[in-house]
Amino acid sequence: MSSWIDGNGGVYVAGIGLHPYQFPNDTPYTHLGLTAVRAALADAGLRFDQVQSAYVGTTSIGMAAGRVMLRHLGSTGLAVTQVENASASGSFAFRQACQEVAGGISDVVLAIGVDKHGDGRRAANKDGLERLSDTATIPAVKFAMMARRYLRERGADIHSLAAVAVKNHGNAARNPFAQFRKPRTLEQVLASPKVVGDLTVQQCCPRGDGAAAVLVVSGQALRRLGLDAGRCVRVLASSANSERDESEYGDGALELVKASARSACEQAAVSPTDLDLLELHDAFSVEELLYSEAIGVCEPGEGAAYLARGSSAINGRCAINASGGLIGMGHPLGPTGIGQIAELTRQLRGEASGRQHERARLGMAHMIGLGSVAIAHVLAAPAR
Amino acid sequence: MTLASTEPRPRHPSLYRLAADGHSLDFHYARCNRCQRLAFPANSPGCPHCGSAMDDAERVTQPGGGTLLEYVTLHVALAPDMAVPAIAGDIRLADGIVEQGVIGVPDEAGLRPGMAVKAVAVFQQDGQSYRCAFVPAQEAIR
Repeated sequence: MSSWIDGNGGVYVAGIGLHPYQFPNDTPYTHLGLTAVRAALADAGLRFDQVQSAYVGTTSIGMAAGRVMLRHLGSTGLAVTQVENASASGSFAFRQACQEVAGGISDVVLAIGVDKHGDGRRAANKDGLERLSDTATIPAVKFAMMARRYLRERGADIHSLAAVAVKNHGNAARNPFAQFRKPRTLEQVLASPKVVGDLTVQQCCPRGDGAAAVLVVSGQALRRLGLDAGRCVRVLASSANSERDESEYGDGALELVKASARSACEQAAVSPTDLDLLELHDAFSVEELLYSEAIGVCEPGEGAAYLARGSSAINGRCAINASGGLIGMGHPLGPTGIGQIAELTRQLRGEASGRQHERARLGMAHMIGLGSVAIAHVLAAPAR
Repeated sequence: MTLASTEPRPRHPSLYRLAADGHSLDFHYARCNRCQRLAFPANSPGCPHCGSAMDDAERVTQPGGGTLLEYVTLHVALAPDMAVPAIAGDIRLADGIVEQGVIGVPDEAGLRPGMAVKAVAVFQQDGQSYRCAFVPAQEAIR
């Protein structure tokens, strides 16, 4: 059955580029972003004046960052739109690009995420409502409580949480664009300072800066522009939703993730167990265990065992966060979701040297924003 | 001439006030005209259950407390002017209303999910204001 994403000859990722994620410093965001865009253009074999529209995912830079940055590539008159949706800003910029291409409005669209570490201002703190706790809108506290409940209900222990960080720091050590490049042992993760609840600092994503860019093209343009179809990754699904009333205490985020992933798999006509790669929002270690179950790559209650037996490792059954995830690669917010798309594209092309998941055919990028919005994309390897 | 009031003020006046015993807190709720369920805070612009506008909702004041659902210790100050370690917990205040609150005990030893907790005033050093903390209901009685 045809879906909107099949319009205009299909939607493809033709080029990817990143600026390495890094600890906050004085590098201007324009430098970060332009590095990523130039790399994506070179990767696709496209010129900037062929790009018809750009979506810029960012949370902390300020108004109209896109035009300020992109004018250094030439004033070509392209449409520029800024997108903000917390951690999922880049993912939603990518979705906008997919919709514009599939709808036939444009054939070549840039999706870029770029960010500098900001002051963490949140709309939830400006709604005019007082709260009983000063940490009521701090994600770390919410996820630490989810971790506590996970350990109690699953009969798991803190080693299960720490093992997520060990795997993802290990993957990041092999990713030249990652913020952390050191493998960590279970003992190191557990011995790092506690932040909240059972979460130690090495189980929490770092703050950072960075940029990631992808060029989204139509199937029509892919042929017309003579792009290398053997390196173009097809987007099979794009699905987004927001939180509903939770049916049981603590299940709101899981139901959100489950619904978005299920919708994306239905659109792509694949089963979650068909996925070879999964990039997901592991801002805190427990999330990977919870979401791998919610997305359906493993059975409910099996997340910790799935990890322990190596099924989520590179060259396991489904490589989860082969990039290093948010814990290892970093989480500069605006770029994070587009960095996921870049990682899947690299893996599905077979170009992830040093961390290549063999025989990768299908991948999902899944992201949430402040635990209340979710988005999922499914990508397929080029026909070979 | 107006004399300054010496009555301590709630840090969050839209949420609670000191109860008659001078120690416990009463919480302010609004009752939705349409679904009859409670909303918290009382000045919510929409009913969290049915989405109705709450402009004409009846204001209801009830003793603050509920059921402790989960809790964790904060080892790092995640908010300005926060002393650590501190304990935060999710409390079911009423049907369909779960809020995070400060748990006013020194450690987790006496806590368990499902226990009843009660809202009490924690007076600031200057004696001019108080904030809300939850303590096990039995402890509040002592």
